[in-house]
Amino acid sequence: MNYHWDWGIFFKSTGIGQEIYLHWFITGLGWTVALSLSGWLIAMLLGTVLGVLRTLPQRSLSAIGTAYVNLFRNVPLLVQLFVWYFIVPDYLPEPIQTWFKQGLKPEISGFISVVACLGLFTAARVCEQVRTGIQALPRGQINAALALGLNPWKTYRHVLLPQAFRIIIPPLTSEFLNIFKNSSVASLIGLMDLLAQTKQTAEFTANLFEAFTLATLIYFTLNMSLMLMMRWLEKRVKVPGLISLGGK
Amino acid sequence: MIRFNKVNKWFGRDHHVLKNITLEVKQGEVVVVCGPSGSGKSTLIRTINQLEPVNDGVIIVDGITITDPKTNINKVREEVGFVFQHFNLYPHLTVLENITLAPIQVRKMEKAAAEQLGVELLERVGLLNKKDVYPAQLSGGQQQRVAIARGLAMRPKVMLFDEPTSALDPEMIGEVLKVMQDLAESGMTMVVVTHEMGFAREVSDRVIFLDHGEILEDAKPEDFFTNPQHERAKQFLRQILAPMHQ
Amino acid sequence: MKKSLLVSLAIASLFSTAQAAELTGTLKKIKESGTVVLGHRDSSIPFSYLADGSKPVGFSVDIANAIIDEVKKELGLPAIKVQYNLVTSQTRIPLVQNGTVDVECGSTTNNIERQQQVAFTNGFFKIGTRLLTKKTSGIKDFADLAGKNLVTTAGTTSERQIKKLNEEKKLGMNIISAKDHGESFLMLESGRAVAFMMDDVLLAGEMAKAKNPADWAIVGTPQSSEIYGCMVRKDDPAFKAVADRALVNFFKSGRVNASYTKWFQQPIPPKGLNMNFTMSEGLKALIAKPTDKSAEQM
Ligand SMILES: Nc1ncnc2c1ncn2[C@@H]1O[C@H](COP(=O)(O)OP(=O)(O)O)[C@@H](O)[C@H]1O
Ligand SMILES: [Mg+2]
Repeated sequence: MNYHWDWGIFFKSTGIGQEIYLHWFITGLGWTVALSLSGWLIAMLLGTVLGVLRTLPQRSLSAIGTAYVNLFRNVPLLVQLFVWYFIVPDYLPEPIQTWFKQGLKPEISGFISVVACLGLFTAARVCEQVRTGIQALPRGQINAALALGLNPWKTYRHVLLPQAFRIIIPPLTSEFLNIFKNSSVASLIGLMDLLAQTKQTAEFTANLFEAFTLATLIYFTLNMSLMLMMRWLEKRVKVPGLISLGGK
Repeated sequence: MIRFNKVNKWFGRDHHVLKNITLEVKQGEVVVVCGPSGSGKSTLIRTINQLEPVNDGVIIVDGITITDPKTNINKVREEVGFVFQHFNLYPHLTVLENITLAPIQVRKMEKAAAEQLGVELLERVGLLNKKDVYPAQLSGGQQQRVAIARGLAMRPKVMLFDEPTSALDPEMIGEVLKVMQDLAESGMTMVVVTHEMGFAREVSDRVIFLDHGEILEDAKPEDFFTNPQHERAKQFLRQILAPMHQ
Repeated sequence: MKKSLLVSLAIASLFSTAQAAELTGTLKKIKESGTVVLGHRDSSIPFSYLADGSKPVGFSVDIANAIIDEVKKELGLPAIKVQYNLVTSQTRIPLVQNGTVDVECGSTTNNIERQQQVAFTNGFFKIGTRLLTKKTSGIKDFADLAGKNLVTTAGTTSERQIKKLNEEKKLGMNIISAKDHGESFLMLESGRAVAFMMDDVLLAGEMAKAKNPADWAIVGTPQSSEIYGCMVRKDDPAFKAVADRALVNFFKSGRVNASYTKWFQQPIPPKGLNMNFTMSEGLKALIAKPTDKSAEQM
């Protein structure tokens, strides 16, 4: 195959101001990381609340968690993003609607939609992990906490969740890596994440192998660092006698 | 201190596990509950801090009617320590943290004061040198002694024990019973479900024999062991004491 | 007699080896396999798209057929089979390079970067980058966009041009890069952007699809022009010459006009949309004077 390799393209000018193509990769990576971490924060907070709801004895409360999981896990991510970006804003009251669509910079309104989308989608998955983690704990743990007079909130806060989180670190790690992969839906609404910038570089330079090779390297390094980070965390919080659930 | 009046409990529709239980435990009294497996001993003792709700009847603990739905059950639980057959220590907390958790979170004790208390209690159960290890690093007997210390940290008025030694290897039973005996001698009100007849004979003030959810015997240990009234109790004693006579 | 037979045999064999030696690259491959592989798109309306699911149709497909006919003539093989191979923006260049596709006719802009990778035939279309906007928006030209939101499709030359313009003229525009043209139009329609910058012909396509085409207008001075060409492998001048010749004949014979009218000024399948897109002066000039250069090189 007579492909014209040119690894120098990353240092060539994009023709816009002083920019070189490498800058695109850097800003793309920046968006990918910012989207994923913000989405993850929401996913962890909401997912934990929902996971706890699903383990409560009150039927109506656990039904809320179940309904949420069924809804958000079964609707494709792209569809969800479409809803958050194109449909939900149309139902905002008027001054806010115009402000959201035109007052905010497009990157900001796009960012908000993508983070909401990723966060709420991943929350459903985190919820299931948290629920599994809590349910994997021996029943005696709750009894021991109740017997000492801890209320349900403190029982979850000090006894159940710290144990559940430790045992679900491996499956949570894969959800964490997934949110980084899923963040590439951002390009659908014009947020230039790493994948979008890669495609764009490929398109503009016609050197798509170089562009995708660099992207692969960046994604790989990112994934490895995230994984090492989670391993480190797992080691750090490890206590004897608590065995983590296997990752999926 | 504890009073049961015509307490009934069913599991499901027709599994009648506690039948018309009427019972009183006085302050400072040590009561052993025994009976065949499945007779309702655990259920009985768990109703005292409402880990098991009852269907009818009244239970009063330290003057509080705990069967009244308006009672804040957590308040009562603070006053009642519970020691489980399987210890149920919190594996993610160190021994000392296991003990200080409830005093800090429930009693709103200062951390330092709680730790001071924890250290004293560990000394009392002979495990001060283990204060910074995790439960999984202890033997069963040591874990159960920590569990007792954890219960005592709330300065309860009553301590409940549900077969505290039956999950232990034989050589560890003694150390746990010793701690319980010390506790009894210090004047603690105790209800102990156990098959350790030695403990019942030497430490307890009364023995209650439960069978099919009914109290068949409620007697001083010397009477219970020498002169049981009920055929079921005699049979039970024969079975449980048999190995000793071999 | 014997001698002359020998001579004629020798000449014949010489001739045939000569002809075989002449055939190289793509032409040779087509002759040997009896098949030419055409790279096409699935939704570049009205250039190359799937109207009924199976075979691609469109203006670029007419061009491709002209090229294939010329190849048949060149090889003296009227029964060459055509195999259709769907390509995307990302796959079209490597598939041409690695020999999967012999010729790609879609809506590919001829530019210098791509010329490093592939060769382009004579151009067959010329576009200008302009703006699609609501008639009531008050936008008449690029200068009116200062401080406003503009949408364009990611990875297109329009995107690069507008970012450059924004930077140079300090217009303070917010530029949204949508994933594809449909998405860009949605941004426009939903009020996220006041104008959509793109190739004029693609804007006409989006406009034709709109619920109410009369609400929209294509405005603004074309920022640049681009020429679409078919891609063939680099360093295969024999095949490219055949393709170039095919285009010259297609233009000269006037067949191009019939094809243009069919695809740009009449209802087209599958839904009977009419692009209503008059032939630009730029395209007329290109037809009068065919070239394989990119617009920047002219
Ligand atoms: N949560 C429960 N649901 C249904 N039945 C139960 C439950 N807990 C105990 N039981 C039943 O109640 C009876 C008494 O149990 P338990 O109090 O544990 O007896 P013991 O401690 O004397 O062995 C048994 O027949 C047991 O199977
Ligand atoms: Mg039991």
